Formats: sequence, structure tokens, C-alpha cells
Amino acid sequence: MAEQGKFWRAVVYGSLLIAAVYYLLPLYVMLTTSVKSMEEIRAGNLLSLPLDITFAAWSKAWSTACTGVECTGLQPYFWNSVAMVVPAVAISTALGAVNGYVLSKWQFRGSEVVFAMILFGVFIPFQVLLLPMAQTLGLFGMANSITGLVFVHVVCGLASTTLFFRNYYVGIPDELIKAARLDGAGFWRIFFRIILPMSTPILTVTVIWQFTQIWNDFLFGVVFSSIDSRPITVGLNNLANTSTSVKEYNVDMAAALIAALPTIVVYVLAGKYFVRGLTAGAVKG
Amino acid sequence: MGALAIKNVTKSFGDTDILKGINIDIDAGQFLILVGPSGCGKSTLMNIIAGLEGPTSGEVHIGDRVVNNVAPKDRDIAMVFQSYALYPTMNVRQNIAFGLETRKVPKAEQDEIIARVAKMLQIEHLLGRKPSELSGGQRQRVAMGRALARNPKLFLFDEPLSNLDAKLRVEMRAEIKQLHQRLKTTIVYVTHDQIEAMTLGDRIAVMKDGVIQQFGSPQEIYDSPANLFVAGFIGSPSMNFIPCHIAEQGGVLGVALQGEGEPVFFALPERLNVQGRVGQAVILGLRPEQFDQADAGGVACRIRITEPTGPDTMLLSQLNGRDIIARVHPRHAPAAGELCSLVPDLRKAVLFDPETQTRIG
Repeated sequence: MAEQGKFWRAVVYGSLLIAAVYYLLPLYVMLTTSVKSMEEIRAGNLLSLPLDITFAAWSKAWSTACTGVECTGLQPYFWNSVAMVVPAVAISTALGAVNGYVLSKWQFRGSEVVFAMILFGVFIPFQVLLLPMAQTLGLFGMANSITGLVFVHVVCGLASTTLFFRNYYVGIPDELIKAARLDGAGFWRIFFRIILPMSTPILTVTVIWQFTQIWNDFLFGVVFSSIDSRPITVGLNNLANTSTSVKEYNVDMAAALIAALPTIVVYVLAGKYFVRGLTAGAVKG
Repeated sequence: MGALAIKNVTKSFGDTDILKGINIDIDAGQFLILVGPSGCGKSTLMNIIAGLEGPTSGEVHIGDRVVNNVAPKDRDIAMVFQSYALYPTMNVRQNIAFGLETRKVPKAEQDEIIARVAKMLQIEHLLGRKPSELSGGQRQRVAMGRALARNPKLFLFDEPLSNLDAKLRVEMRAEIKQLHQRLKTTIVYVTHDQIEAMTLGDRIAVMKDGVIQQFGSPQEIYDSPANLFVAGFIGSPSMNFIPCHIAEQGGVLGVALQGEGEPVFFALPERLNVQGRVGQAVILGLRPEQFDQADAGGVACRIRITEPTGPDTMLLSQLNGRDIIARVHPRHAPAAGELCSLVPDLRKAVLFDPETQTRIG
């Protein structure tokens, strides 16, 4: 019996190990390739460890690689993305929190219908929005600007953020709101003093979710931006597609890692809360 | 002067009538209980008194003013909730202070009030703790402390003890009663527990289906229930309802009770006023303690089950084809399956009309 148990345990761990290696392999290849020189890449094999670690590719990807006609590296795109992501995440999260608060704790006639309609927004494929959104942006004079991209991401993120907060707040007992009302607190005071301090898990989830969505977005970035407002995903695409005489794999890999770095950092810093927030259905009084 | 008056209050959601014309009037310092099964409208009525919901029609008076259009925070009330509703991110001190802060009570005065309330409820050592670090009984005290800090004209308790275990519930019940006697404040207390209703209340309003079935003192409600519902709801084990016919035997009006054998005639007290009802079907209401065991003059009953509770033993049997419970002294209690002679004490018996279910005597 015990022998059999050990055997199956080995099978389980063995398959887990294979799966882990399978998923980690691309990252390994990217990391090692990005610190190799071109000579080594040409000579060596894909899986070998770098003989001579060099960060030249990283430096080139950051500041001198060509993306089309300009050769500025990913640097300007990176800062465009930061300038887009920070306000877009902040605004969509803040609005989602207030929406969720109203839809769960200050229900009005028809609020369930409003919620159902907002929920619908979660399922709309964004491609459908491209044309009407382009017209809207033009109308508001925000076309081809970072402001325009922030606007698009706020609008498109609102459905998810509202859903997150609403579902979290539904688990908070209504009696808390009643008690606060009897204590003399109003709508905003209850929100800022009672509800928001309880929201750390869902705030973390929403911020990570929104950050990942917006940072990794390519569709809106490529459609609604111009030369000086392009986000990093578009920059990366242009960098990888700009054909020179040789394909610089190490620069491409370094660029891809630079583009992915902020989301990885966010997950490492707040991943613990992410899992906790996703599983925290109810709040214990 | 009246502390709380509810006049013809109704509440409807669409076609559903939750409250159908509620009238209640209590004096300052009284302890009013709203009791009834779930769905009877008692919590809705509480919310209307608190101002958390508005009535569809009718008036609510607190003190000498109509408060229909007064916001909850301006009604001079405080409420203790079933879940305690302590703010989870604040410690006990902040929980108590929150209501004082929003009312712009000066800091020094806040500290004074918190110290006084904490001393009264013996929660001084808990002031720095978060609600999650407190036991159920401690949370209950803090919730009461938060209400007391405001020193309101009216206290509202919404099933405050139902989340506590049995032992703690009895302790806290006594404490609430003691607190009321000491502070002499007016309290409205919602519960579905008839023992809490009986032990705590000065006045009890028994509710069902959005209607007050009876409003009176605990003893009135226990001794003279207005209808079958009240009679069955208040008292544990509940009142026995025995179907009978009014009969006349030797010039005396009474009822026949049959257990395991011939029916036995028992005279009804004159108080019940059953002249002119001879031959009519009635329901005889007898509390379990209104039975005695005797060798003679009783009706023979086959005991199906006995339930010893310690001080008393409950005997489950049948009279007139209906299950009954008799509460007897354990020393003489028969065993299950035995025959036993039960003598009903009809001096406190009540009669109900089987059609209208109201008390006729």
C-alpha cells in the first residue's frame, strides 16, 4: 500500500515538474538569449547557458534600437505606457469602487438593470468598439493622444472594475451601513471611513487586473495612438518587425522582457493579495 | 408623556403589504418588545422607527415630534444590530467614537464619554482591540456601548442576542434588563424568542403577517391571549389546544375530555361566560402547567413519551384525539406507556372560537 502511494506520488510530482519546465522554458530561453552576444547566438544552441554575459542587448533595446524609422529604443514607448497606465488604472478603479458601492449598498429603482447592463460590457469584444470609439475620440478632440487612450481604457475597464467591487461589497453586511447612518455619517463619509478601509483585497485585485489589461493592451494602442503616444506593446511590435540585415534575437528578447517587466513586478509585489482577494468572498464582521 | 407613538403605520412593497396598520404607544422608560415569527414585519417596523425605511402611510412620533421626515441621524435614537455591525477596520475606541465624531463632539468630551461607557460595560481593557479580536459577548457589549455613548432618547435593539450561544444569551439578557433598570431609557426590542419577550418586556406587541395580534403586558399576554396564534406563540412548551363541545351536566356548563377510556366531564369556571353556547364547538386552551396528577377525579391518559427537564417532567399524551403536553413534578412522573390520571385545572383555562380563532372567554 505504502509502496503504491509512493509510486503515484512520484507520478504526480513528475508530471508537475514536466508541466513547470514546459512553461518556464520560454522564459529561460528569453532570459539567456537576451544576455548573449549575436556571435554566441549564431554559434551556440538555443538552450545553452550564456558563456559571456553581456547587457548590450538590453541597453540597445532600451535606448537605440530602431522601431521603424526612429532609433530611440523602447524608452519613449515605455514612458508613454506609464503615462497611460497610471491615470487609467487609478480612474477606472476609483469609479468602479464608487459604482460598486452604489450598486450594492445604495440601491435605487432600476439599479439591478443598470448593473446588468454594465455587466454586459464585460462580454463585449473590444473590436466592436473601434469605430464608434474613434468617432467619439475625434468628437472630444482626444484622438491620437495619451489622454484619449486613458479615456478608452477607463471606459472599457469600468465594466470589470464595477463588477469586482459590486460583488465584493455585496458581501459586506448592510447593517454596517445602517449603523453608520444612525451614527450620522452620509454617503461619502461611510464610503471613505467604513467601506474603503475594508477594501484592500479587492483594491489590490482590481489594480493588478487593470494594470495588466492596460499595460498589455495592443489593440487600442495600435489603433488610437500616433507617433508620440504609442504604448510599449506597439513599440515592441515595431521593434521586432523592423527588418534590418540581421535579426537581432538578443535585442528582441531584451525588449520583450522590458515590456513584460512591470506586470511581473506588480504580480510579485502584490500577488499574495491577488489570490487572497479573489478567494475572499465574504467579510467577517 | 409618550416616548414613542406609532399611528396607523402601513408598509407595502408593490402588492405585498408588509405592515397593515400598526398602532403602538409607549411611555418614556418602557421596554417594548416586538415579537413574532420571521416575516411578520417586526424588523420592517423597527427600520421604520429608525428611519432606515419610510412608511407607506401613517405617522411615527418620537417624544413630541413627528419624525416621518427626519433623517435617522437626527431622530435621537441608537440601535444595536443582530450582527453588532461593528466597523471591522476600527478598534473598539474608534467604533464608539465614530458617532461622536460625526456629531462634532469635542475630543475631550468624547474621551470622557468613552471612559464612562467603557466602565459601565466593563470593556475598558478592550478599547484598543479590533472587533475580530473580540468574543461574541464582548462584541455585543461594544455594540451596546456604541449605542449608549450617544445617550439617545430611544434605544432600538434588533435581535441582539440571537448570535450568542445559549448560556451567554441568558447572561446578556439579564445585563440588558439591568441596564434598562439603571438607565430608565425607553427601549424597543425586536426578537423572535418568546422567552426574551416575556423576561425583558414591560409591553409586548405580538405580531404576525403585518398585524399586531396583541399588545399588552407579558402577564396579560400569557394569561389572556387574544387568539390562538398568540396563545401558541407565547409560552414553552406551548399551550395545549383541545377541541371540545360546550355541554351541560346537572345545571353546570363544562366540557368533556377523553383520554384512554370514558369521557370525563369538567365544569368550566363562570368567568368564561359560555351561557348560550351549549352544543357549540370550542377550542380549550390549557397550559402544560395547568395539569395535575391525581388518583381520583382525573381523566386517564396513556403516556407516550416523557421528557424530564430536571425541575419538571413533560408528559406527552392525547386528549380528545389531540396531542397534549402536561408539566408535572418529576417525583411522581409515570413512565412512558403507563396510564396516568391527569386533572386539568380549568380556573385559568381559555376558550377559543375554532372559526375565528379568537378568544371567547
